[in-house]
This record gives sequence, structure tokens and C-alpha cells, in this order.
Amino acid sequence: MSTIPVADKPQNRFIDPKVLMRIQNLELVARTVVEGFVQGLHKSPYLGFSVDFAEYRQYMPGDDIRRIDWKVYGRSDKLFIKLYEGETNTRVLVLLDVSGSMNYGSGEIKKIDYAKMMAACLSYFAYHQRDGVGLLTFDKEVRAHIPASRRSGQLFNILREIDTSEPTKETEFRKPLRYLAEVLNRLGLIIVISDFYDDPANIAAGLKALKSKGNDIMAFHIMDNFELTFPFEDMAQFEDLETKRKLHIIPEYLRSQYLNILNEHMKKLKQELVSAQIDYTLMDTSQPLDAGLFAYLAARANSL
Amino acid sequence: MSFLNPFFFIGSIVLAVPVLIHLVRRERSEIIPFSSLMFLLKVPKRSIRQQKLKNLLLMALRILILALLVGAFARPYVTQSATPIIATGQNRGVVLMLDDSYSMRYGNNFDRMKTEAASRIDALGTGDQMALVAFNDNANVLNAPTSDKAKLKAALTTLEPSYGGTRYYEAFSVADRLLSQMTGVDKQLIMISDFQRVGWNRSSRENVIGKDVKTEMVNLGVEKSTNLGIDSVSANPTTFTRTYTDRVIARVHNYNKDQAATVPVSLSINDKEVLRRSITVSANSTALAEFTGFDLNLGLSKGRVRLETATDPLPVDNDFLFSIDRREKLNILIVDSGRARQSFFLRQAFTSAPELPYEVSVVAGSSLTPDELAKHAVVVFNDVPRLSNAVTARMDELRKGSQGQLVILAENADLDWWANYAKLPVKPTRRIFVQKDRGQTSVAISSFDRNHGIFKPFETTAKFTINTAQFFAFVQTEARPNAVVLAKFEDGSPALVESGAQDRGLIVFNSMVDKLSWNDLPLKPSFVPLFHEIVRYLSRYSETRGWYALGEGVPVVGSTENAAAAVIKPDGERLALGELGPGQQRFFTPDAPGFYETRVGKESHLIAVNPPASEGNLEAMPPDDLVASVKRIDGDTQQGDGLFGSDAADDYVRRQRAWWYLLFIALLAVIGEIYLANRSQRTQHVEARKA
Repeated sequence: MSTIPVADKPQNRFIDPKVLMRIQNLELVARTVVEGFVQGLHKSPYLGFSVDFAEYRQYMPGDDIRRIDWKVYGRSDKLFIKLYEGETNTRVLVLLDVSGSMNYGSGEIKKIDYAKMMAACLSYFAYHQRDGVGLLTFDKEVRAHIPASRRSGQLFNILREIDTSEPTKETEFRKPLRYLAEVLNRLGLIIVISDFYDDPANIAAGLKALKSKGNDIMAFHIMDNFELTFPFEDMAQFEDLETKRKLHIIPEYLRSQYLNILNEHMKKLKQELVSAQIDYTLMDTSQPLDAGLFAYLAARANSL
Repeated sequence: MSFLNPFFFIGSIVLAVPVLIHLVRRERSEIIPFSSLMFLLKVPKRSIRQQKLKNLLLMALRILILALLVGAFARPYVTQSATPIIATGQNRGVVLMLDDSYSMRYGNNFDRMKTEAASRIDALGTGDQMALVAFNDNANVLNAPTSDKAKLKAALTTLEPSYGGTRYYEAFSVADRLLSQMTGVDKQLIMISDFQRVGWNRSSRENVIGKDVKTEMVNLGVEKSTNLGIDSVSANPTTFTRTYTDRVIARVHNYNKDQAATVPVSLSINDKEVLRRSITVSANSTALAEFTGFDLNLGLSKGRVRLETATDPLPVDNDFLFSIDRREKLNILIVDSGRARQSFFLRQAFTSAPELPYEVSVVAGSSLTPDELAKHAVVVFNDVPRLSNAVTARMDELRKGSQGQLVILAENADLDWWANYAKLPVKPTRRIFVQKDRGQTSVAISSFDRNHGIFKPFETTAKFTINTAQFFAFVQTEARPNAVVLAKFEDGSPALVESGAQDRGLIVFNSMVDKLSWNDLPLKPSFVPLFHEIVRYLSRYSETRGWYALGEGVPVVGSTENAAAAVIKPDGERLALGELGPGQQRFFTPDAPGFYETRVGKESHLIAVNPPASEGNLEAMPPDDLVASVKRIDGDTQQGDGLFGSDAADDYVRRQRAWWYLLFIALLAVIGEIYLANRSQRTQHVEARKA
């Protein structure tokens, strides 16, 4: 395997998303990120939860006899079943927003690319943490749903689905979240990767419903730097990537109002989510993906 | 409302510029794909609308500024009513200006003018005064201010159309003087004219009419002129051959803007038609009719080119007169030393073509008699060793008459003898053989007096290059006082010298024209024209002009001795000009077209006079424009004492003042624009800082 170039800044040990964009294989992206990330974490306090053995439990009728620890039986004459880490791990479901607005990117990276890489990395990471991993892509509808599982080929399926998803339609959280609330019965970690172009109240209502079922939820708010700063100068027609509507705008006149409204939106969204104990992380597409992984680990640690 | 400078409205095109920029920017505005307009659509519409309004207001202001500037420079003024002046309670003092320029001969215009004038005279009330001014390019008072209608009518009856052009300002000046003599009356000016545009000289704008004068313009202008006329005729006015070999070219103008015209054009010599052509002249254009190959008698002939059309409404300009002088050939005597083939090049120069106006005879200097000398107009002494005293004495005498003499000093000339001939403008010193004496191959004639009569004809041609001739030998001379050096060799030695003003008619050339060992001048293209011009100059030959335009001063030049001068007008009237000394000039100004004969002693000349061609162009101008340009406005000073009293401001002043108001409003708009633009920019900066 060729050497992966890293970002120029010495203090930045993470791989620049622009560099990752040059790697066509999503799995390779995920492995590159995650392995680099894990190597940097060998003294991390989070390492403890990732052990092979968990505990013994007394044999109960119906248990698979192949899982009886015969050595313990030889020493104690009692039947005990060995519980592995798989049973202690959680189920992770990645909700990836593939609406039209995610197709925006001011530079080399579009939000959807960033979100895909992030979804891939988290899936890869979780899968190798022995967590069950699932994927749900959505816009105003549910586009694809791969239920969380740890079976072999699951990661491949997820990565392929992530890779082939193309953003087109509008964003609406109400319907996909209601669907999820109906089909999701096992507790786990839900990771929402979206630009959240919807009413914060709608988003929070849907997520709260999932949260109330005992799921841990993490929200990654993917935003492009141009969306956050609106640095446009000359008069232009702005075209909505979701609705294709065009609007004549002199950006310098509207910048301040736009930024006020955007900040208000993000503030309200954060308030709603935090009040429902949902982790909220704003991700600028110009930042490395590792920040997202940290947030995941922190949430994962809390859930144990 | 009308405008003094309506062409400034072309500038209104710039009004479209801000709008175009707006549209172009809008058209070309970039399309930027953006994630969602969700937040942009939430920006309060009021803010966007305000910005739009501010921008629209700015654009409107800028357009307004440009419009005001264009309007101001177009100089708007409120026109006066064209309705006839209605008598007020006060007595009127009227000056009636009547255009009698020759353009009024168009159709029945002159009769119409008389009818209009008669009706204005009839409309005079008791106590009203009227003066009559007839004008063309001069203005004459036909009748001083009077209340006597009969007298006015009698003066009007005597008025005949002139052959003069049109000039309005002189007429207005005279009218103003008359008006200033009328006090305590309601001053009115009535002008009856065809308002030809050619009569209005915009550059000589003078506000001569007082502010208190009411004006009425009676426009007899021709809307669609169908006039055909001859603008000019160009012909060589002097010929030496029986058959005229040059071309007589008449320039025919069709003033009809819509239709081309085909018209026969005839050439008459001494009232006998000799040639006829038919030409087609495009609408509003000119065409040339050319004539050549007709015979002429000796002396002056009367030429006339005529448009043979019976339907032309202005026949005056259908005839064009000119004179042609057929002269005897110039008699040249070449005196040489009698050697074989001497004077070959000179003879060839004057006789190589039969049409050349020269008769040449050659005689050896030894056999030259004083009587023989007197028979010729020009004598060339070609490298003659010396002359007898009798001959030189006769030479001096003949020069005082009209004979011209050219002395060529070269190989055979006895330089000492010629140096002692005091009348010679140079003193020859020695022969210079360039290679031996100067150490160079040859010298050239490096400078000559381009303004001299000999070289003047070559002014416009590049073919005359006298400096290409190589001189291998020449006679070094010193110019005597008062002599005029016409050309010099490159070492500064005179090449061609003319005697001074006291003894004109003697020219010396300081090199040979027979041997190529002296110079190669005879082989150069400049040789023939140079010697033709020298001889022509020495013959005191003067060309008269073929024709004069009416109004021009025609010179009558004195003969060789004192003589009485007179002019015989076309109608036979004799105009005495008094006695003229030799070379003295006196001018007379013809007052009608035709052939004039000038007589000085026994000599007589024929002068052709034509009316001004510009009058044929009947394009009219708006009378209001004319009034506006001659009426005094606020701030204009009076022309002089007695022209006007110190009148207060009147309506007319206010009518022309509009452009000041427009400029003032434009200034206010500029201030408003600057304020709005600055405010808008400041707001943007503040918002940008906040962002």
C-alpha cells in the first residue's frame, strides 16, 4: 500500500479531508483514518472498553452448549457460559442525510463527500470495535436502510450503499425519523450526519422520540465554510440545490442578515438537542474527520 | 419650445448607458449553486426592497443628471408665437425686412414677398411707422421710418430681385439701427424671406436685436427645391493654340433631394453654341460636364456653359460665364556663339511639341542687330562671348518695356567682358571645374526659392527635382547688390540670379545647357519645365482669372505707361476708374452677372462675373432659430451708442435662461447622488464589519 500523504501542518496529525478525497475506495479511506486514529490513541483512557472477554454466566437451559467453558467446569463442576465482548457491544446506526443541499461544496470537498467519509469511518470504526453497524440514508424519505448487524459482509454493504448514494431531493426529518421510531426496537447508538436544513423543532421532535426509547443519539452538523461565513461579494443568482429555485442577491447587502438567521438556527437546534441530551457537533468540511471520531468515542464511553 | 443646439440631443444616447449597464450586469450575473435558500429567503424582504429602491433611486438620479446636462447643452428656449403681430393700444414702429437675394427669384417667391409686404403696409394703423429694408448680402434702407403708406408702397414697387447672396446679420444690424430711432412705440420687426440656411453664419453670432422688439417671421422657404444650377466652371483661361486642348469642366448641382435629373448642357463661345452634352445628376448631388476640342479666335472669347432646361424654377444659376484668352505664341530669340549643335537642348525644350506656345529663332551673337533684338518677347543669350555696345544699349532699353532676357554664362562667355556689364546682376569671377577645383565629382543645386514665380508652379508636384542634376563645371559669380539669388549650388555659389527690382527682366544662369561635360541638367525631367517657367516669367506673362463671383473685387492693373482706366458693364454703361500709372491697381465690384470689359489705355480685358453659386441651395432654416441667434439676452452688451436704450429684462431673456435652471437642477441631483452613494457605501461597510 502506498504511503498516505498527511496534512502539512506539523501540529495537525490528522489527515486533511482534501487528501482523503483523492482516495477513491471508501473502505481504504475509513481504514486509513481509523487506523491512524487508533495508533494515536494507545494511551487513551478510552482503550479499556475494547476487551475480548467480558464475564461468565451460569448455564441456563437453552444456551448453546458450544459456549460452555469446559475448563471452568473441570475445576468447579459447574456449567458456566463465557460471555464475549460481542454481547456487551452496542448497535450503531448511521443516519446519513443525502438530500440535495448536501451536494454543496465551496472547495474541493462537497458536504456529501465529507459526510460519506465520516459515515464510512464511523461505520468502519464501530465495526472493528465489534459494534453492530447499520445505515439509513434519507432525504425527505428513507432512501435505504441496512439494519445494524455484525455479520460478515455488513461493512461492505454499508460502505457500498454510502458510496452509491447521490443527493437529490429536499431535506425533511419528520418522515424518516418516524419510520425509524417504528422499526427500531433495539437500543443503540444513533449517529445523525446532516446539514439539518429543516425546522429545528421538527428535527428535535423526531430525535427526542428515538431518545425516549433509550437510544443514544449523536448529531453531526455538516456545514461548508462558505455557508458559515457567506463570503460572496458580487451580485449573483443563487440557486437552491434542493428546489432549484433562483434568487437574485447582492450578497454584501444580505450577509449580515443571513448570518444572523443561520446562527439563530444553529443555536436553536443545539439548544433543542442538548436539552434532549443529544450530542451536537458542528463539523466544518474544512476540518479533519478525526474530530468526529473523538466525539463518537466520547459518546461510546458514556454509553457503556 | 425649441433648442438652439438641437444636435446635442445626440448626447441623449448616453442616457441608455446606466440602464444598459444595469441590464447587462443583470443578464450576465453569475449563477451560484447554493445548498439551500432557506435562510436567504428568511431575510426580511423589506431590507432587500430598500436596497433595490436605493439602487433604483441612484440609477434614476444618474439618468436624470445626464438628461439635464444634455437638455442644458441643447440650449432650450421658448419660441414665440408665429401668429401675426396683433396691434396693441400703443403705436407701432415696424421695420419690414425684405429679402431680395437672387434665391428669391425661385418660382414666384419674389412676387409673393411683395404681396406679403403690401399686406403688412396695409395693416399699418394711424400713427404707426414703418421702415423698409431690402437685404441680400448687403442691406439697404428702401424707406426711412414713415407713416405714409403710399410712399412705402411706391418704394416697394421699385424693388427688384438682386443677384446678391444672403447675409442676415448685416440686415439685422440695419434694422436695429432703424428701430432705435423709433421711440415711444411698440417696436416690431417683420422679416419676409426664404430663410436660406447659407445666409446664417453661426460663427459670427451677434445679438443685434433688442429684447423689447417683437418679431414676426414670414417664411417663404422652399420645402422641396427642384433647382438645378452650375456651381463652377474650371478652364485654363489662357491658350496658345487655335483648338482648345484643355478641358472646360462644368460642375452641375442638382438640389432636388428626391429625384435625379438629366439635363442637356451646352458650351457657347462668343454666343455661338459649339458643344453640347447631356448629363444625369443624382438627387442632391453634383455631376461634371466636360468640353474640349473647340476652336478659338485670337484674343479674348466669351465662354458660357448653360443648362438647357426650361422648367427650372431658378434660371439665374443655369448660366455660367467665363473668359478664355487665346494668345499668340511667345517669340523667343536664342543668341549663341554660332557653333554647330549649340543651343540644341534649348531649341528642343521650346519646340519639341507643336502645341507648345513658343516660336523660337536662333541667331549668332556676332550677327545680332539691335533691331532684331526688338522683335522678340524673350531673348536667351546662350553662352555668348560678348555683345556689341549697340546691342547692350538696346537690351537695357527693351527690358524697360516688356522684354525678358536670360543670360547663360559658360564655356565661351568672356567673363571679363560680362563682369564689366554693369546691368548684369552678377559679377562672374572664374570657371569652376568641380573635380579639379573642389575635389569632388559634381555639385548639385541644393536650394532654390520655392516662392518665386519660376518655382511656384512646381510647389504641388513631386516630379520637379532640380537637385538631381549633377554639375561638373559652372561659372563662379558674385551677386551684385539688389540682385536676387533664386538658386544656389551646394557650395553657396549662385546658380540662378535675377536682377533687382529696379531693372527687372534679366536672369543669369551660371552653367552650360549645351554640353553634358558641364552638367547633365538637359537630360533631367526638370530641364524642360524649368526653362519654360523661366521664359514664361521673363515674358511678364500674367494669367487672368477665367471668372469672378459677384461681390468679389475685380482688379484693374495699369499698363506700362499712365493711361485712363474704365469698365464697360454688361448693359453698356461705362464706369470710369480714373488714370492708372504703370503697375497701379484699382478694384471695382460688379453688381450683376455678365461680361465686363476693362480698358486701360489701348489694352482691354474681358471679365466674366457669375452670381454666387451658394444661393442655388435653397435649404431653409427654422426662422425661430434665426431670431434666437440674433436676439439679445441678459448679460449681452449693446453694440454701440444709439442702438438701444438700457432696456430691462424681457420675456425673451427668460425664454433662453432655461439652460441655467437645468444646470442648477443637475448640480442638485449630483449632490443628491453623491450623498446617496456615500450612504449606501457606508452602510455596506458597517454591515461588512458586523459580518
